[in-house]
Amino acid sequence: MSWSKACRGIRISSYLENLHRTSQSPRTSLCSRYYTHGACKGNEHYLRSKRVFWGSSSSWSLNSHSATAKSMLVSAHRQYSTQSPTETKSQKMLYYLTAVVFGMVGLTYAAVPLYRTFCQATGYGGTVQRKETVEEKIARHSESGTVTEREIVVQFNADVADGMQWKFTPTQREVRVKPGESALAFYTAENKSSAPITGVSTYNVTPMKAGVYFNKIQCFCFEEQRLLPGEQIDMPVFFYIDPEFETDPRMDGINNLILSYTFFKVSEENTTDTVNNSSSVPVQETK
Amino acid sequence: LLKGGAFGGNRGLRPIPPEKGIFPLDHLHQCDTEKKGYLDCLKSSGHKSEQCRHLSKTYLECRMAKNLMAKQDMSELGFSGVTELDSIVEKER
Repeated sequence: MSWSKACRGIRISSYLENLHRTSQSPRTSLCSRYYTHGACKGNEHYLRSKRVFWGSSSSWSLNSHSATAKSMLVSAHRQYSTQSPTETKSQKMLYYLTAVVFGMVGLTYAAVPLYRTFCQATGYGGTVQRKETVEEKIARHSESGTVTEREIVVQFNADVADGMQWKFTPTQREVRVKPGESALAFYTAENKSSAPITGVSTYNVTPMKAGVYFNKIQCFCFEEQRLLPGEQIDMPVFFYIDPEFETDPRMDGINNLILSYTFFKVSEENTTDTVNNSSSVPVQETK
Repeated sequence: LLKGGAFGGNRGLRPIPPEKGIFPLDHLHQCDTEKKGYLDCLKSSGHKSEQCRHLSKTYLECRMAKNLMAKQDMSELGFSGVTELDSIVEKER
């Protein structure tokens, strides 16, 4: 009975109509024989009016339906090899659409690295851009003798993640600096808990579009920093604002930059573990 | 006009690490006096970095001496021509 459902489709009927029109072989009669048999009641009258030999083939139907159903299918399939123009067109369309689907999926996978390179190149969304090293930039500007006039106020902001028992503040509220001058700033962090806590920080510069010109020469971010209980430490940031900041028309109204750091907790050690530590002085890191 | 949030904004990309890397922490407070000098200068000069650059230079030199920073010529870091006397000259400018 599933066959009957299939033959109710308009497409199948048009295919078979084409078959009947183009083919002269008795194999066609097998198809039509199947078609008239069964539940294709709606189309039956239409088909009978078209071809004479359909009527002759209908006598076969009752005897040989189940036995020859497979061969009918094969022959019908063979008939499809002589494709009509609309069929080839549809198949081409199918290939094209499948290719589009695969193309789209491939694009979504490629989008991640593409987006990253795009943002690195344009500094979109506050990415701190890097084309040449800061030393090269400083050397270039000192050679060309660029004089910068505009004073930019860099304010500092410090945040700590929830549940992290550190007191993290900027040691100075702001620094007034001219583009092209490397400047130093400090943050103070204090471990207020009774266990050594390791934290890692990340930063951001606002306004976002100015992030392109903010170069950090050295800082304390992205590396785990461990503070003993009660330890207070000063964390320096050595930065440099590109002199090209002054010549960029997009930066016209910007005289305030905010450098914001956030500390996240990496791990907190149990106080029982530290009892076994013999040295109380942390090993100095050398770069 | 550019909504940073739409493109993943702050979260979207990993921020670029600093040029010369990470400052090792001064756990032993070896350069504290230089740091204090610099911060006091900032406070007194209205947070103008220009006038206190010589002190930041001494702080970085202290760090280099105590192995807390990679040794490098100060002029490469933008301190060319910055000496103790320069602070007075810059004030006059």
